[in-house]
Amino acid sequence: MPKTLRVLIGKPGLDGHETGAKIVARMLMDAGFEVIYTGPRQTPEMIVRSALEEDVDVIGLSLLSGAHFNLCSRILDLMRAKGVNDKPVIVGGIIPADDIPKLQELGVVAVFGPRSGSKEIVGTINAILEDMA
Amino acid sequence: MPGDRKEPKPAYKSEFLSAFHDELKHMEKTTLKDRLSGGINAQFKTYSGGEVKETKQEFRTGSGDFAVKRFYTPLDTADIDPITDIGLPGQMPFTRGRDPLGFRAHEWPLSYYAGYGSGESASERYKELYASGARELALALDLPTQIGLDSDAPMAAGEVGKVGLALDTCDDLLRALETIPLAEMRLATVGNCNSPWILAMFHTLAEANGHDPKDMRFQIQNDPIKEYTGRGTYIFPPSVAIDISSDVTEFICKNLPNWAPQYNCTTTMRWGGSSASQEVGFGIANLLCYIEAAQAKGVDPADFVPRLHLHMSSDNDLFEEVAKFRAVRRLWAKIAGERLKTDDPRILALRTTVYTAGDKLTAQEPLNNITRTTMHVLAALLGGADNIVVPAYDEALALPTFESARVATLIKNILHDECYVGQTADPLGGSYFVESLTTQIEDKAYDWYRQVEDMGGPVAALENGFYLKEMSDGMYRQFTEVETGERTVIGVNKHIRDTETKIDIFKGDPEAEQRQINRLKEARANRDQTRVTAALAEVRRVAEVKKKGERENIVPSFLEAVRARATIGEIYDELRDVFGVYHAPNVV
Repeated sequence: MPKTLRVLIGKPGLDGHETGAKIVARMLMDAGFEVIYTGPRQTPEMIVRSALEEDVDVIGLSLLSGAHFNLCSRILDLMRAKGVNDKPVIVGGIIPADDIPKLQELGVVAVFGPRSGSKEIVGTINAILEDMA
Repeated sequence: MPGDRKEPKPAYKSEFLSAFHDELKHMEKTTLKDRLSGGINAQFKTYSGGEVKETKQEFRTGSGDFAVKRFYTPLDTADIDPITDIGLPGQMPFTRGRDPLGFRAHEWPLSYYAGYGSGESASERYKELYASGARELALALDLPTQIGLDSDAPMAAGEVGKVGLALDTCDDLLRALETIPLAEMRLATVGNCNSPWILAMFHTLAEANGHDPKDMRFQIQNDPIKEYTGRGTYIFPPSVAIDISSDVTEFICKNLPNWAPQYNCTTTMRWGGSSASQEVGFGIANLLCYIEAAQAKGVDPADFVPRLHLHMSSDNDLFEEVAKFRAVRRLWAKIAGERLKTDDPRILALRTTVYTAGDKLTAQEPLNNITRTTMHVLAALLGGADNIVVPAYDEALALPTFESARVATLIKNILHDECYVGQTADPLGGSYFVESLTTQIEDKAYDWYRQVEDMGGPVAALENGFYLKEMSDGMYRQFTEVETGERTVIGVNKHIRDTETKIDIFKGDPEAEQRQINRLKEARANRDQTRVTAALAEVRRVAEVKKKGERENIVPSFLEAVRARATIGEIYDELRDVFGVYHAPNVV
């Protein structure tokens, strides 16, 4: 039996609008992933700790407040420091188009926005995991 | 001449009606039966001889709660009493609106929700809005300010000035509003968990500008329940938050006659997935929870309930929303009359402010959002809302620009002033469909209200995750319906356009955070530290008294702390230390 893939859906920063994060969490559950949802208001340290403790395959970050550069770079730095930067980080939320390449430069693998549906999100995650396998 | 026409005698009238009813009942068993059973299998011959089929198996209201019939007849309203259930505008049970004049005496002010960055960038925006005629301003606050953190707190990094104004000390507020003539303005803010601090900030703002705070017209949202169900910007356990919120209500009612102490918000619950009837039922339960908390502190509901607003959304289903606004007034009048043991019409006539559905606006082809918000505003006007706030068409993309905010706020003025909406109160009153739906929503909302009360009220419904679960289920259902195409969203799952529309979106000031942090450091260095230390000790003392379960209002200690230039983080650190912070149940 194939291993059930585990995804962490994290809500770093102070923004507590959880709707998008919860929809993605449920969509991934329906697609057969095991989902660990952190709840809102997590520090980068808390996110990376949960990712390590839960031994997840993918880290998803929900970001809506505009603090995406700051939070993503801190999380990715921490992951490098802990030697877990092999885990793909994906971002969902309200990210201006101009910022997407810059997030990718930081090391974010995929960025989803309000128009991304379950096909796109689930398909991209599967493709990322297949590429790594 | 209308006067020449003879009024039909009442007896004739009722005879006519009863004959009509008999006829309809007969039809219901015969021809009407076929006419009312619909679905995609039902085939009809058109008069021109062609065959038509319906497009859906079942037609339901936008929030999915009720099946909608092909048409409605007097049989659907047979149990609704035209006097006691519908009545007249401005009379019990206020189904037809709280004002006997409807909108005839109403002027819609220009109002804006705005604020970003540090004091000086917001100040520019406020000046621009004032110059363009705005006399109502809702100040948007950044996230650190909303949850009582200083701009240099580690958790605040990257968030300062992002979704609103960064306020650390009262000097930041003074600077943001330095060019605005306060006496002409109605100022509001969404401060909820930080409400005693917002009160103290507005109070100090008035004093510093040489005004008596009593003369100001300030409005504080002061609704912490909203933060547990909407934006996640809560601090303390719900019961502590409600106690502190009722301190604010008490202080305003006893000292500041022109201030609005609270406006309760179910908008975020609706945006988070609740149905129309849940919005009504949960909203009424929440409102009563606050009213009874203030009542326990000796505040007479007659002193403040007439100043309250229930903030509701206005969603996509025009008729369901109209019925909802009518149903919430009727149900409130009944429940509040019973629970508060009053027949005072000022208490029983619920005031509603509508914040139209931001959650239904799309990032795709954002200009189409103007059409959506126009219909949301129309529902609010037809339903008799007292106040209407409209999100901008670029809401799904970023904070509004000045242009998009202006388009949004003028929708209600165009509908009211140009399109003759609002010449007569409750224009849909008496519609078989709308009356029937009003009653259906009222009944279902009452069941939701009872369910919340039976589990111990809104605090229990927050702590046990009930509210969050209901919202999450509703939201996911809506999302799935959009994905399967069962629910149409133009530009998203129907009539999709390949190319992206380019619009100008608002860009924040990247330097704002560092500027604000420098200013905060300067403020800390240039103040009477002895006074600050004493003020903070007093805040802590009152918090400890409250922690022991004894009663003391926390607002006076906040007034002194704010005047002394204590920072928001310093004040809230004292409270966090005493009350602890809340972790919401992690409901997916």
